[in-house]
Amino acid sequence: MADLLERGVLWLQDQRTKHCTRDVTYVRGAALVVVKATVGRTQYETDDGHAVRVDFTERDFLIQAADLVLSGNAVTPKAGDQVRESQNGQVLVFEVIDWRYSDPYRQTFRIETKHVGTETI
Amino acid sequence: MAVITDIADALVAQLNAATLSQPITAERHYLPRFDLPEMQTLHITVVPKGVVLALGDRSRGQGDYSLDVAVQQKFTTDDNAELDVLTNLVEEIADHFRGRRLASYPDAAWLKTEQTVLYAQEHLAELRQFTSVLTFTYRVLR
Repeated sequence: MADLLERGVLWLQDQRTKHCTRDVTYVRGAALVVVKATVGRTQYETDDGHAVRVDFTERDFLIQAADLVLSGNAVTPKAGDQVRESQNGQVLVFEVIDWRYSDPYRQTFRIETKHVGTETI
Repeated sequence: MAVITDIADALVAQLNAATLSQPITAERHYLPRFDLPEMQTLHITVVPKGVVLALGDRSRGQGDYSLDVAVQQKFTTDDNAELDVLTNLVEEIADHFRGRRLASYPDAAWLKTEQTVLYAQEHLAELRQFTSVLTFTYRVLR
């Protein structure tokens, strides 16, 4: 018998992707792919542990694992990759710091990023 | 100006005049605070840290003035080669000041240099940023 919970999770992820996402560009070196991402937790933080305070914005992106295909290969996120999000005539550049699966069935990546730059289109 | 401020300015001037493996621009700050996107470029920040006053001789006091020098930059890869360049720069800065008086504040005698943060591991992991802090201590009799 099929795992009802897994089917439910897959259905919910499909709905999330259809109705709660925006297009972002996932970049690794010269390779890039446009994927649908849900913007997750976003918060402004400060690190003041070492003489100098550093302020930063953290943002999580939820992306379907099957969508992350670079140069024809399915990949997992990697620290240093970028997620580029267009907003109001600007491109917000987020750098991947870490990632994990957001569900027990490994269908969706929760990608933890930090804002590292803003470019004007 | 306060002695520690004079020493900090002298330290900044000497850093900016130093010939190191890469050009640097040091700045003195009371409340150093940067946004992460700014850290793509190398930041050298001088921050007064503390003063310990004691009797020097019959007529003068002795002050030990500590100042932090933070070397910070976001890195693009986490290759050793990229971080080695910054680690080397920190050592160059430490060596540049070891045993020397400050050119524009010669009353301050170098006492010690401590690398209080060799490199901040949490910054490497969570900010992808190199952070190293040197603490210089100078002694002034006055």
